[in-house]
Order: sequence, then C-alpha cells, then structure tokens
Amino acid sequence: MLKKKIIKKDHLKPFLRKLSKGSDLIAPVRNELGDLLYQKIYSLDHQEIDLAAQPQESAKPFLFPQSERLYTYDCAKGYKFEPEKDGKPTVLFGLRSCDISAILYMDVVFMRGPKDAHYIRKRDKTIIIGIGCNQPWENCFCNATKTGPFLEFGFDLQLTDLGDRYFVESGRARGDSILDSWPQFFSPVTEEDKRLRYQLVLEARSGFTRQVHVDSAFKRIEQEGVSPSIWEYLAKRCDGCGGCAYICPTCTCFTIYDSPLSPDKGERIRMWDSCTHIGFTSMAGGHNPVNPQKDRLKRRFLHKLYYDYREFKRPSCVGCGRCLGICFGGVDIGLFVEMVCSSHKEPVEKETSILLAKLLVEAGLIDEETMQKALKDTINRGIPLGKILVDNGLVTRKQLAETLIQEIDSLGKIKSPGKGA
Amino acid sequence: MMNQPQHIKNNHYTPNNGDMLLPSEATIKDIIIENSTIKTFVIGLTDPQHAQSFSYMPGHFVMVSVPHQGEAPISISSSPTQQGPFHLSIRKAGRLTSAIHNMTKGDFLGIRGPYGRPFPMKALENRDLLIVAGGIGLAPMRSVINYCVDNASQYSSLTLLYGSRSPSDIAFKADLEQWERHPLVDVRLTVDVAEPGWNGHVGLVTSLLEDIEINNQSHSALLCGPPIMIDAVSQMLQDKGLEPENIITTLERNMKCGIGLCGHCYMNGIYICKHGPVFTMSQLNEIKRHQPK
Repeated sequence: MLKKKIIKKDHLKPFLRKLSKGSDLIAPVRNELGDLLYQKIYSLDHQEIDLAAQPQESAKPFLFPQSERLYTYDCAKGYKFEPEKDGKPTVLFGLRSCDISAILYMDVVFMRGPKDAHYIRKRDKTIIIGIGCNQPWENCFCNATKTGPFLEFGFDLQLTDLGDRYFVESGRARGDSILDSWPQFFSPVTEEDKRLRYQLVLEARSGFTRQVHVDSAFKRIEQEGVSPSIWEYLAKRCDGCGGCAYICPTCTCFTIYDSPLSPDKGERIRMWDSCTHIGFTSMAGGHNPVNPQKDRLKRRFLHKLYYDYREFKRPSCVGCGRCLGICFGGVDIGLFVEMVCSSHKEPVEKETSILLAKLLVEAGLIDEETMQKALKDTINRGIPLGKILVDNGLVTRKQLAETLIQEIDSLGKIKSPGKGA
Repeated sequence: MMNQPQHIKNNHYTPNNGDMLLPSEATIKDIIIENSTIKTFVIGLTDPQHAQSFSYMPGHFVMVSVPHQGEAPISISSSPTQQGPFHLSIRKAGRLTSAIHNMTKGDFLGIRGPYGRPFPMKALENRDLLIVAGGIGLAPMRSVINYCVDNASQYSSLTLLYGSRSPSDIAFKADLEQWERHPLVDVRLTVDVAEPGWNGHVGLVTSLLEDIEINNQSHSALLCGPPIMIDAVSQMLQDKGLEPENIITTLERNMKCGIGLCGHCYMNGIYICKHGPVFTMSQLNEIKRHQPK
C-alpha cells in the first residue's frame, strides 16, 4: 500500500529545498511578461511557484528539449562523435495530470522499442511531483481522454490542494522513500482529509465546461470513416506552421541536423519537427509521399485519435486543451472531434438549421446577411448552427431556447427525434 | 500490428554504449563511377570489432553521416556473401548526396545500422525471381542479385528487367556484364530514349514485361524504382495473375533516425524504417486498409 501524508503549505518550500538539493528544480512560475510556464527554479526565495493555473506550455521540453545537442563531432582527423555529458537529476514539481500523462506517452515512444539513450538518461533521473486540478480550465477535456483531473499512477507524488495543506499520495516506491526521507515535513492523513479529498476529486470531475467526445469520435472514424469534406475544410484553415505540434505535450517527432562550428568541428542537433510542415516528408529529388496539406492533417489527427487508439486502447491526446488556443485557423483536436461527431447528422442538421435560421430572423434577433454567413459556416464545417451563433456572440443560449420554445408551443407538440417513423 | 514473417527479424546493431543514434566512423575505400549521377562507394568501418560483427542482408539500409551535412538513409548495394567492405550506391540528388559525390578515397563517413527488414531471401529460395528496377532502384537489387548468384543452387531462375532513361544513363555496367555471363541470370535492358549506337530495346520497363510469362506458383517479383514504375509494374503483374503476396518492393522515405522514433516515415500506424522498408504488396494493401474510409 503506497503512502499518503499531509504537508502544510508553509512546509512546501523547505521540503522542496531539501528534495532538490543537487538537482534542477522545475516548477510553474509566472514570468515578468505574465506568462505561467514551467521554469527552472534558481532561488526558491526569489521565484514564486504558482500553482493557481495550468502552465501555458507542457513539461515536454525538460525531457525532450525543443533543440538539444546530441553530439559534438570532429572531422579534422577521422570523424568522431562525442555524446553529450549527463546533466543533473531533475525534480519536476507541480505538473498537471495531462502533462504527467504526456510523459507516460513519451516513455512509450522513446523506451518501447529501440531505446533512446538521450531521453532515458534524463528520464531515469527525473522525480515527478504532480498536482491534481480541483477546477478544470476553459479548454480542458482530460475527462474525455481519461488523463485527469487526478491520476492513479505515473507520478512519484501527487498533491491535492485542501486549502491550507496538501494531501500527498505516493505513486511508486520512490515516492514512498521521498516521504520517509523527510518525515519532519509530513503529518498523518486524517479521515477528514480523506473525505475532503474525495469530495474535491468528485467536484473536479463535474467541473468540465467543454465536451470533446474523443471516444465517440474514435468509434465514428472506425465505423464510418471521415468525410473528405472535413479534411478539405481543415486543410483550407491550416497554414502548416506546426504550432499545434510544438505546443502538444505528446508530439514527439523530431529532425536531426548538423550545425558546423568550424571547418573541422560541429554539433549534431535534434530539434522538434512537425508532420504539418510540407518538408517533413519530402525527399531529395522533390518527391513527397504525403501531399497536399489535407494528407498531412489526416496523418496528424488519425495518428493521435485513431492509430494510437487502436494500438494502445487510448488516444495520444491528453486533453490539455493547449492546441485549442494556439491555431490561427482554429484547426485543433476539439474542432476535429466535433466535426467527426456531428458529420453523420449533416442532412438533418441542414434542415433544422434552416428552420432555426428562419425563426431567429423572423424574431428580429439576427439580420439576414449575418445569418447567411452563419448558415454557410454550419454547412461547410458540419457544426450545429446554434453553436456557431452562440460561440460568435450573435445570440445568447437563452434567446435561442426561448425562440425554440415559442415555436414548439405554437406547434403544440414535440416530435421526438429518432422515435418517429 | 502486422504479422511479421518468421524469418525476418528486426536487425538492430546496438553499439556498446546502447546509443542507437551514435554513428561509427568509416572510410571510403574505393569509388566506382556507375554513370554521370551514380557512384558506388566501398565502405570500411574503422573499428575492426564493429567491422567483424557488421552483418546484413539484401534490403537493409544504413544511416550515413557526412561531415556538416547530417544523415540520410541509404540501402546497401553489396551482398553479404561477398566478404569485406560493403557498398553504398548513391545517386546525386540533394545536398547530402552531392557532398558525398565530392568525396574521395580515404575520406570519412559515419555509419549507423543496418536497419529495417530485408528481403525474405530464405522464403524466396526455389522460386523464379523476376527483378524489375528503374534507375537507382537497381542499387538494393544489386545486393539481391549478387546474393542469388552466390547461392545460385538455391534459386530456380532470375530475370532482371532494368529500365534507364537513355543508354548513357545505364548504371552498374560492370555488374550487368557479369550477370549476363551467369547461367542463373537473364538480363534484359530497356531505355526510354535511344541514342545513336543503341541496338537494344526502347520503351518503358513495362514494355519488357509484356513478353514475360508469369506463373503464380513459381514466380516472385521484386520491384524497386520510381513510385509510378512500381505502381504500373505491380498492376501489370497482378493482371498477369501474380498474387500481391508474391510481389515485393522496398520503399524510400525521408528518415531521420531509422529506428521508428523521429516520425518522418510514419504511415497509417506503422514506421517504414522498422516495419519495412521491404514490403509485399499484400502487406502494403493491408497497411492501406488501416486507414479509415
């Protein structure tokens, strides 16, 4: 049975000071520009760990850096490669459940088959201390990907914020030994603590505002495939910038290139790459087997939500919601899932959308021109009209509901969909 | 995900320190000029122990490092039946291959591998082999043909159909002459465009195929060349009654690691570098079926 303890918030800093002695401590810190990012802590006295929100980037770069020197090479006499020296051990503190889940996925990628020595030498020396999310944020959907808001495993320690104290649970033997090494900071868990924690976990689970039906999307893709119009629409909106892959905590594709330092010396660098870049698959001579852009998007979304789902029985999306805010064109996992899930009702949707559009224009809530645009959007994207109108602030949910209720009242009865005929 | 034939094992040379991305030093022992854009480099590994333990089969590829240019996947063009250094036949196509073409005897390269799944030479024993290659596509097939020639009693027959753009583009001339003299091998050449003095066949490689009789019970075809050639030849062979499982090809992709990590060669849930690059057409059909409608 793994250990459970309580640590008072006042004791957290002294505990981290002890734990991270001789290691690099990484924790969420708000920088001078107001961005909350996982950063290296140089001084616990001068940097404030901020656990109030989800960091804007994941912890991916600390195990798989955006740009990393693998070797220095010398080609003066012969051609010799010198591997990078091992760094210090690392304590990753304050990781959100999505970010820990993403590390577990990276473990599969880099340690399953041929092992990646450069990943392993960092990973083996990394302690992970997570914090469950009492309140999901606006774009979060880890409930749908089963990667949060609290985890059952994958961490050394997981904290739950109980107000003036944290509930601390160990997730593996190393977590237990951390708790045993510094008993002065921890006190036993009471029944009240357990009850409070249980309640917070339940509340967190019911706190999601965004519904991204990842499971239904997988089933739909498996059974019905994906309508070509979805790929075409997404490709029109995608600039191939790779931002979604860079921000994604589970995107692990990379390129390797040489950077000369002198005629005789240079560095071999590994850098993040993205499957949405046109050059990702093109070869010397110009042939590109994955072209045009819709093929690249197909590969990206199906890798995460279909092929990985088939292989690992879960998607390689951890529901962190970060790609939902990063794309100029709104081409994110949320939109894709929504389009896949709603595409099968397209014809019905069209009819109801046109009826709804008529009612709203008649009620004087939206002018005809705006409605035409919204209708076009509905048909192109396969997203319900009501959602488009509400999302763009053209009507409120209440207005929408009232208009529909009036119509239903005037009809005198509701014909339940799916039960007729 | 895909059933791997028993006799094909993933072949990963793991250096002593376990770092799969670390290249080993090698030297260019010799250079054979094959045509105006293709050269064959004879490669010797510096570390005698590594050279000793370096084993491969036709169809394997290595990651080649060129100083300041990075790495590229190149298939081995020599046969493991021939002792000593191995060969890489390289067409000058881009930045890295141009740099290799500018190198001379005694220059240094980095080598990782061999990687991938090779041609199923064991399963092909006692069969009539039809090898169809276009341009540089003969490079991996050179390994296959020399392997068969050196184990001639194991294979029923070998017909090579080799297409080039023009007579002066015909590469591997020394090999072709040797094979022409060997009783196992029937060499048939064609060029897209003739030049003065050319008395041979003119037309696409598919036109050579018209005269070939195919028996699915005894024939296996091995294809390598531009994608459009592979598609056309594969279709024609199937029209002649050859089952997709008896048509084998090797795919070329952008690869950065060669070991299924970097993601560049990912396709419908598999990695060309480690699940291939050699596939039967039935395997490729199955991979295509992985993709949802």
